[in-house]
Amino acid sequence: MNPMHLVPIPAVLMFAGTQLTHLAPIDIAILLLYFAMVVFIGFYVKGSTNTSEQFFLAGREMSAWIAGLSFVSANLGSLELMGWAGAAYQYGILATHWYWIGAIPAMLFLGIVMMPFYYISKTHSVPGYLQLRFGEGARGLSGICFAFMTILMSGVNMYAMAAVMQVVLGWNIYFSMWVGAATVAIYVMLGGLRSAIINEVLQFVLIWAGAMLIPILGLIEAGGWTNLKAQIAQRMGAEYTHLWSTTGSFSANPMGVHWTGIVFGLGFVISFGYWTTDFLVVQRVLSANSLRAARLAPVIGSAFKMFVPFFVILPGLLALVLLKDSAGHLIQLYPADSDMVLHHGAHNFNEVLPLMMVRYLGPGLLGLGITALIAGFMSGMAGNISAFSTVWTYDIYGAYINKKASDSHYVLMGRWSTIIGMIVSVGTAYLVMHAASIMDYVQALFSFFIAPLFGTVILGMLWKRASKAGGFWGLLAGTVASIAMFLYTSTGSAAHKANALAHIALSRDAQPMAENLYRAAWSWLICVFVTVVVSYMTKAKSETELTGLVYGSTVIPHDGSTNVFEKPIFWAIVVAVVLFALNLWLW
Amino acid sequence: MASQPEPPHPHHVDPSTEQALSIWFFVGVLMLGCGLIILGQGIYEFSHPGTTMLANLHPAFWWGMVMTLFGGFYTIHFRPGKG
Repeated sequence: MNPMHLVPIPAVLMFAGTQLTHLAPIDIAILLLYFAMVVFIGFYVKGSTNTSEQFFLAGREMSAWIAGLSFVSANLGSLELMGWAGAAYQYGILATHWYWIGAIPAMLFLGIVMMPFYYISKTHSVPGYLQLRFGEGARGLSGICFAFMTILMSGVNMYAMAAVMQVVLGWNIYFSMWVGAATVAIYVMLGGLRSAIINEVLQFVLIWAGAMLIPILGLIEAGGWTNLKAQIAQRMGAEYTHLWSTTGSFSANPMGVHWTGIVFGLGFVISFGYWTTDFLVVQRVLSANSLRAARLAPVIGSAFKMFVPFFVILPGLLALVLLKDSAGHLIQLYPADSDMVLHHGAHNFNEVLPLMMVRYLGPGLLGLGITALIAGFMSGMAGNISAFSTVWTYDIYGAYINKKASDSHYVLMGRWSTIIGMIVSVGTAYLVMHAASIMDYVQALFSFFIAPLFGTVILGMLWKRASKAGGFWGLLAGTVASIAMFLYTSTGSAAHKANALAHIALSRDAQPMAENLYRAAWSWLICVFVTVVVSYMTKAKSETELTGLVYGSTVIPHDGSTNVFEKPIFWAIVVAVVLFALNLWLW
Repeated sequence: MASQPEPPHPHHVDPSTEQALSIWFFVGVLMLGCGLIILGQGIYEFSHPGTTMLANLHPAFWWGMVMTLFGGFYTIHFRPGKG
């Protein structure tokens, strides 16, 4: 459930060009060093993952820094990195919104407002919180949807990694898939979330080290940021380098979005839904060793998140004016399903990051960059598989199939569900390989569930009157409405689709990107509306039942901060001020 | 983002993860290993110039140097057994 999936990357069409480069022996050495370390970590932490708390929540022993880096790293998958570098090439700097307003406010809100409830309730998962607040119905619905989504998404990551390696390096697609799957299965099965978190921190450092050099060298070649902006304005138009000033109308910017969609659809519903209720990322923060660490972790993550556009969006912008062939002519990239890509061997938008890597990175550095990409894919698989194994074991198997097993039995189930989950993921990857459209649907599926889920969780945390029936029916209504809107806008004739899009996004000028934002906003509103109406028609929970779960019924303990610099709220304000300044700078 | 001082652990265990080896030690070793490989390549490229854009700035040498220093510091600072 990733807001980044709003830029769908068609599967088989993702990379249709010819092999871009090959690895030198020292590149292979870097790759092998990474794989050896990952597997070693799995075996190393196995001895300390004997209880379910240790296996599924890393023993709740992580410091704020580790939980925070893991939190942001779980979202730094390679699919997103390449997709958004391509989106920056296609839409300009507007793509940055998905990293700033589409992430930072929600991360800060999670840390400051919501984390105390997740942490105090001692829940092991987001469906677990819904069970405490709204009962089994809401837990069952969200648990099954989440388990289904994570397993599919893991397979999509696996296929994407293999497809990228095939086209960038010419590797056999089955070799990449099976080696990636086996490696992830080994280290997650052995070390559970603890192992996944350690590897996510490694991946975080690798991605920064491997990707940072591209924008640095690119800016040197372009003659600095001011010169780059001038060159982009000359070639593409000034709207490619403005964040807000062109969003007053759908037709004035390359993305075809309006600021209301960005602020309310992306900045509020989608972003808050993903960052505060997607268990894949929330699980990382639940592993924190204290309430203060749990509140500080998302704040630390948000500070790093703010600078991710530097090595994701900037390479896309640089490519607009610097990506040239050997004769010095600018290389034009095209949509993945365009005639130029399919029949004339042209490169597509999603290849922009690998192309920029090949442009600047020689032997050694290229190995580092490719290792960072592979680490990103494997981390994407591991994040999904570890979250799947937790939700399956706690919220499906332990809740409905075998309620009274021993703790060691649940740990064993966690290990087995990791293996079986990975095998199902491989199956999904094979499926995607033979039916490209499945990948598009899997990416769309994530957006169906997340907006209404946020409506249910936020009402559950902040509104005492929300009843058990209200929570369940609101979640169900929002999810069904989201699916219905998707079918309405994606089936039928082209004229019907355009008409449907105009209805959902409230404008005839809206582009497909706007549809996602408005669909999320509508499904959230429907969820909230149904929850409120049904709650007023049904019996509310008693005050004692709500203790530790809802604002107003919970005394939030002091988090142990002894001075202002230890307070999460202080650092949240610092991050918010920097975010505001950056938006103003690039207005 | 100042973090609260952690109490010393009796068995030299990283308090953030309950492991004898710290996460930061792994980070250090990985960066040091990669840094040394890239630094070596960077030195080689002084006599055999690379063909990539801006290879004249010797990015492999400088980036390898930065990673080696970063990785070396973390490896030593978070080495096992350091009280």
